[in-house]
Amino acid sequence: MRRFRGYWSLIIIVLVAVLSLTYTLASGNKPLLGLDLQGGVSVVLQPKGTPESSSIDEAIRIIRQRIDALGVAEPEITRQGNNILIQIPGVKDKDRAIELVGQTAELQFRPVLAELDPSVVTDATTTTVDPGASTTTADPTASTTTTAPSNPTGLSPDVCKTGLTGEQTNREGTTYLPQCDGETLVSVLQVGPVALTGGALDTARATLNGQTTKWTVSPVFKGGADGIGLFNAAAAKCYAGDATCPASASGPGRLAIVLDGRVISAPTINEASFQADQIQISGNFTERSAKDLATSLKYGALPVELEQQQAQIVSATLGRDALHAGLIAGLVGLILVSLYMIAFYRVLGVLSILKLFIEGALLWSVISYLGTNNGLALTLAGITGIIVSIGVSLDSNVVYYEHLKEDVHDGRTIRSATDRAFHSSFSTIVKADVASLIGAALLWWLTVGPVRGFAFYLALSTLLDLLTSWAYMRPVVKLATRSKGLLRRPSLLGIPAEAPQPTGRRTAARPSAGATR
Amino acid sequence: MSRLGRLNRGETNIDFLKVWKRTLIFSGVLVIISLLSLFTRGLNLGIDFEGGVSWEVSAPGVSVSEARSALESVGEGSAKIQIVGSDIVRVQGPEATPEHEAEVRQKLADLAGTDVGNVSVSTVGASWGSDITKSAIRALVFFFIAILIYLSIRLEWRMAVAAIVAVFHDVLISVGVYSVFQFEVTPGTVIAFLTILGYSIYDTIVVDDKIKENERLVGQSGRMTYGQMTSLSMNQVLLRSLNTSIVSIIPVIALLVVGAGIMGAVTLEEFSIALLVGLVVGAYSSIGVAAPVLVWLKEREPKNRTIRERLAAQGVDVLHNAPRPTGQRLLEVEDQSHGRRDPGALDPDDDAPVTDDDQPGAPSTTTTQAPRPAAPAPSGAIPPRPRKKGRKR
Repeated sequence: MRRFRGYWSLIIIVLVAVLSLTYTLASGNKPLLGLDLQGGVSVVLQPKGTPESSSIDEAIRIIRQRIDALGVAEPEITRQGNNILIQIPGVKDKDRAIELVGQTAELQFRPVLAELDPSVVTDATTTTVDPGASTTTADPTASTTTTAPSNPTGLSPDVCKTGLTGEQTNREGTTYLPQCDGETLVSVLQVGPVALTGGALDTARATLNGQTTKWTVSPVFKGGADGIGLFNAAAAKCYAGDATCPASASGPGRLAIVLDGRVISAPTINEASFQADQIQISGNFTERSAKDLATSLKYGALPVELEQQQAQIVSATLGRDALHAGLIAGLVGLILVSLYMIAFYRVLGVLSILKLFIEGALLWSVISYLGTNNGLALTLAGITGIIVSIGVSLDSNVVYYEHLKEDVHDGRTIRSATDRAFHSSFSTIVKADVASLIGAALLWWLTVGPVRGFAFYLALSTLLDLLTSWAYMRPVVKLATRSKGLLRRPSLLGIPAEAPQPTGRRTAARPSAGATR
Repeated sequence: MSRLGRLNRGETNIDFLKVWKRTLIFSGVLVIISLLSLFTRGLNLGIDFEGGVSWEVSAPGVSVSEARSALESVGEGSAKIQIVGSDIVRVQGPEATPEHEAEVRQKLADLAGTDVGNVSVSTVGASWGSDITKSAIRALVFFFIAILIYLSIRLEWRMAVAAIVAVFHDVLISVGVYSVFQFEVTPGTVIAFLTILGYSIYDTIVVDDKIKENERLVGQSGRMTYGQMTSLSMNQVLLRSLNTSIVSIIPVIALLVVGAGIMGAVTLEEFSIALLVGLVVGAYSSIGVAAPVLVWLKEREPKNRTIRERLAAQGVDVLHNAPRPTGQRLLEVEDQSHGRRDPGALDPDDDAPVTDDDQPGAPSTTTTQAPRPAAPAPSGAIPPRPRKKGRKR
């Protein structure tokens, strides 16, 4: 076993590289290609102002819900700083996807025609319905539906989870819309055509009524015919109990506030006409629910106002071409740089190319693992980063080999120079690589989007370089310089011949033989 | 001995003291040109910085004028139309409604005779590019500070300052090249520039490490000034610097020529031009800018100024390279210095010789050196295998 001393790290790193590559191939892990390589839709949204962190997370949750309703595979929604990056690979209906995520949902005001008990949806297949279930909604129309043998609404029982399709929201006509509390269906309302949209609203706020200590929500409409005018027209009909907005059990007609196909509130209209800024929605609001409603009125469904910063539709063919070009360019670069290293450093050059292969195997495994399990995508920027890192890796070899040459040239034996040169050049390599790592870490931390991918791969390959420099390059060069065959012909190592070993002091004159060129 | 042979052995004797005067003037001129061009011509900012829509479709054989006449019907006749890569038609226009965007997409698909799904569209808000730039500049500032601190700890503050000056020079000239040649600046370009920073530093650190190693030649022997020592160090690491740069540049050239040129990948072109420019400038600046700035800073130190004045008084030529110490003398000097060296004065892991008991041929080089004070590498855990006695190599 003694003969392996000092070479354990070599055996281990080669084993790790081979095993991880085998595992990657066997488990079918593959790098996840970024959108620029496989085609798809990518949208970057930026919140206006400085929103709270929690509201951005909430916005991401809502956006994810919407995209899931679109039925695409593996949407990638990530948060980068305050920005939200949405990537949907290979989506078919690209425009719809961008529309869904890129815009805040439309807020609609629709007259309520009837309110149904949620059991018509949830218990659609059973004909016997416990009438007691309808006590929470005091609407008499609910009881009529209990006799209905089937579900007239067309809503699925888990509608609060899945959302509605575009047809179901039926802007221009009559439709059934759910009212949800989280994912629980609370009520089903039959509503008429859209009377006005959120565009008529100026702002909204939640206020605490000092006298009743109850929370109310005050929407403020824009002035003029397109604002308060529209609202008052609808309000007048509802107050009068017009056929398009029939009176409810509790009094005049109701106007439902609809967001993302869900009724978020359906207040009764208690006056025929309102001032633009004198409207109050009262009810059993808690502070939280009042504020939520005010936010929804203000921004649409998302708790923050989002601005579309960048949207990209990448065609699958262009992406594939870019991938091929990147791979082939990388391969050509690799071959050229290998030839250069071998021409200069002979056997040591070959060893440095093997180092690239070990790093490559490890890199491939890490990228595949992260791609399959953490959704880390390999983008074109990442591929560029990897190609650039070929240079980073070989730089370490050059620094070491040149130091080795210099030491031998200055009169050391190749053997003793191998260790000595490694120590000082590894110190240089660490300094230089740490500087690169600092740069990569700062890039990752301070920037967004494509820059991050680049920084990640640069950092990853720099770390791998540090690892392989120590675990592979050190022992393998040692092996090479201990080989008797190579020592006899140092030119094969690209190292000058050792100075002859004089018994006394060496003279300044050195033989000039043995140089590679 | 051929010039290449000397280069290969680190035996060139280029008088960098003279060369630096030229490189500094050269750099100065480049910086002035860059600044002038930046202020007069500005940068050719891509769509990502101005906001707008960009369509791309692979349409072999379609010319710009054909594309223009086809797009006139949808009101994009005046749009910026280019053929990029080998056969990609790129149309860029101001921000548009989604409907208009879809119209143009359909038109382009018809033109290229392909499905509408094969047309790429990129819509960019006006603030996207400036956001990227802003975060890049912030990253740059933090990078400068972090590197300044890191190099001050690992090497010394003067080297850190010299390295930062060189990197700043690199960034300025790279941006200048983009301005002079009016290459389009895209977020990809910004990314590439940021990468260059790490690179430029890499080369500079390799040089600085060698200078640190040779520093004792100034103090102990008093035979040369700091400038002369640095010039000597440059000659010794010249091949190292060249080769690190060459192996980095070869893959990038492959990206540019094969990836972008032959295969026509537009994004690769954006990256690789910036990388190439930055790499070349970075390789040059570590030799031509970082080193002379360091010498200038160091020669202001009282210790080094005294040495310089003493040598000048002795009639030694301090303006040109000192006579080159031979390898033999280098080793001797090294041993003396290590013998006397104040352990705290220099970077401990800089270049202490390994205690190497298998050096029968060179008894003079193995002094009674204590084990390395702080091994930089875990390699210290694996001691060199003791040689069997009496075995000849």
